[in-house]
Amino acid sequence: MSDAWIYGEHGGELTSRLLAELGFSPHRVAANGALRPPEGDNRAPALAVVLASGLERPSCAELCARLAADDDLGEVPVLVALACGGLADGLGVAEGHELLVEPFSAEELQARIARARRTVNGIDHDDVVRVGSLEMNLATYQVAIDGRPVDFTYMEYELLKFLVTHPRRVFSREALLHRVWGYDYYGGARTVDVHVRRVRAKLGSEHASRIKTVRSVGYRWEGT
Amino acid sequence: MSGHREFVLRTVEERGVKFIRLWFVDVLGLLKSVSIPVSELESALEEGVGLDGSSLEGASRLREHDVIAHPDPRTFQVLPWRPDSIVSRMFCDVRQPDGEPFGGDSRLVLRRVLEQAAALGYTMQVGCELEFFLFEALGSNGAEPATLDDGAYFDLTPQDVGSDFRRRTIEYLEQMGIPVKASHHEVAPSQHEIQLAHTDALSMADAVTTFRIAVKEAAHELGAYATFMPKPLEAHPGSGMHLHISLFEGDRNAFHAPDPEQPLSPAGRAFLAGVLAHVCELTAVTNQWINSYRRLATGFEAPGTVSWTRRGAAALVRVPSRRPGRASGTRFELRSPDPSCNPYLALALILAAGLRGIERGYELQAESLDDAAEGPRLPLDLREATDLFDGSELARETLGDRLCDVFVANKRRELEDERRTVTEFDRSRYLRLL
Repeated sequence: MSDAWIYGEHGGELTSRLLAELGFSPHRVAANGALRPPEGDNRAPALAVVLASGLERPSCAELCARLAADDDLGEVPVLVALACGGLADGLGVAEGHELLVEPFSAEELQARIARARRTVNGIDHDDVVRVGSLEMNLATYQVAIDGRPVDFTYMEYELLKFLVTHPRRVFSREALLHRVWGYDYYGGARTVDVHVRRVRAKLGSEHASRIKTVRSVGYRWEGT
Repeated sequence: MSGHREFVLRTVEERGVKFIRLWFVDVLGLLKSVSIPVSELESALEEGVGLDGSSLEGASRLREHDVIAHPDPRTFQVLPWRPDSIVSRMFCDVRQPDGEPFGGDSRLVLRRVLEQAAALGYTMQVGCELEFFLFEALGSNGAEPATLDDGAYFDLTPQDVGSDFRRRTIEYLEQMGIPVKASHHEVAPSQHEIQLAHTDALSMADAVTTFRIAVKEAAHELGAYATFMPKPLEAHPGSGMHLHISLFEGDRNAFHAPDPEQPLSPAGRAFLAGVLAHVCELTAVTNQWINSYRRLATGFEAPGTVSWTRRGAAALVRVPSRRPGRASGTRFELRSPDPSCNPYLALALILAAGLRGIERGYELQAESLDDAAEGPRLPLDLREATDLFDGSELARETLGDRLCDVFVANKRRELEDERRTVTEFDRSRYLRLL
């Protein structure tokens, strides 16, 4: 179940319900300027929705800027939702990756989410990431190369998913440990190297080199 | 943990997995398996699966008692062999019905020592070189098996099953997330070596266990038989399992010494001193069969005395020379263990011995500069090794009384069985003479 974090109050109940219908697990973030919901393991969500109408401190623009600048939340797709008529005052129109104007249906929300995830993470509308002959289905945890299934363990899968959905950016070992394994993992950053090697071995020659080692920094996924 | 569980359930459904094998090892490291159908998977993940705990006790079972095997979803993996029926495996932790750890579970023993190391800020990294023989399918008697080639060290043997076999094995291993560093033909005919890339100690013990069955499966598919028996051929070297060991503190190799004159850091020297000080007590575990001592007896680079060196290939411990700029590669290589040991107990004891060296500030003995090393000798046979193990306070502290007692009972029984056996040796030496 992917998390979706909701910022702002206006229309929050309805948005939560629609997101749950689409299979997300919605979490409301307190309106006190916090970037993270109070509960949960704090791993980055699949999606952030900013309900812009009535947002003052921080404003929609400030909030989006802080999300973009955050180490862990920088590549989370952001949807900005405006109240009916909200386009007129222009607040928040230029923010986030996609824009929604009330009233919106579950279908429209789904379409906007798909567009935002496609833009930010390269995830297709059917929850599949495609890189050449590599297909990664995020709904079913299945990975295939040339249509043939490749069997990963859970952590190998999670690492590959993270890299594939955050292309072209370099992540340090610590950042990967923190974001893929979570905060409470004790195993040292060597764990990351060991898992990268396993994932490369399973990916085979065509795709293994897409995980670039950036010397004395970390790793980067080259999608193209 | 819920993410792991969902991943397992979903993958089983998507891949059409029919059976799930729940793996655990007995006190001797022999792989045991309970197979469950997919319909039982959810409850197995939730509540575990009941077993008779005496199945973990080798040939010397105490009495039947109930234990629960809890599959570890992090180790879920589809098995790459026999692709026509999709089967997967998970390693298990074995607990008492009330949830307390079961003292007879080797995997839990290793976990416990790894936690002690973690409390001191250390994680253990292990690389592994495994040697083994590939023979023609075995006959039913105890005759010497037929070799498949006359290859030698690093030979490329184009027309043998060996190359196909190594390629297939490596594919299996890589599909199971066990990266291979290198493989080559070993010194003896029909002997092979595969090197596994370093990883944390628990993953390595799981990998060695998986390796042994993957190799046997690949051999079987080619109509051959693979064995990890330490010394199958009298005239040729036996099979060892060289362990490359290092400790890390976070990202930093705790064995690395900035001073190029020093082979290892102070912590590394104390750790190695601990391993050398206790190695004779631990030999019953690293070399656990009567046959293991036939490998150690005959040289061929198998160690016989407690020594370490930076050069030479016959010492018990070799500290490889460092390559500039590769601090993370600093390690030592322990050369006595053989590939038929219980890797969980062997790694647990080696780590415990090393940590004791660090905690009590052991001094590392002088480097031995020639191959005919002077030094205390390793146990000559399983009886001597078992006696030393039986009296080892370190072994009791690390493995717990129950596991030690069961291990010793197994070994005493093996020795007793051998004592009663009239062998080829007896007949060839005595029949005509006496």
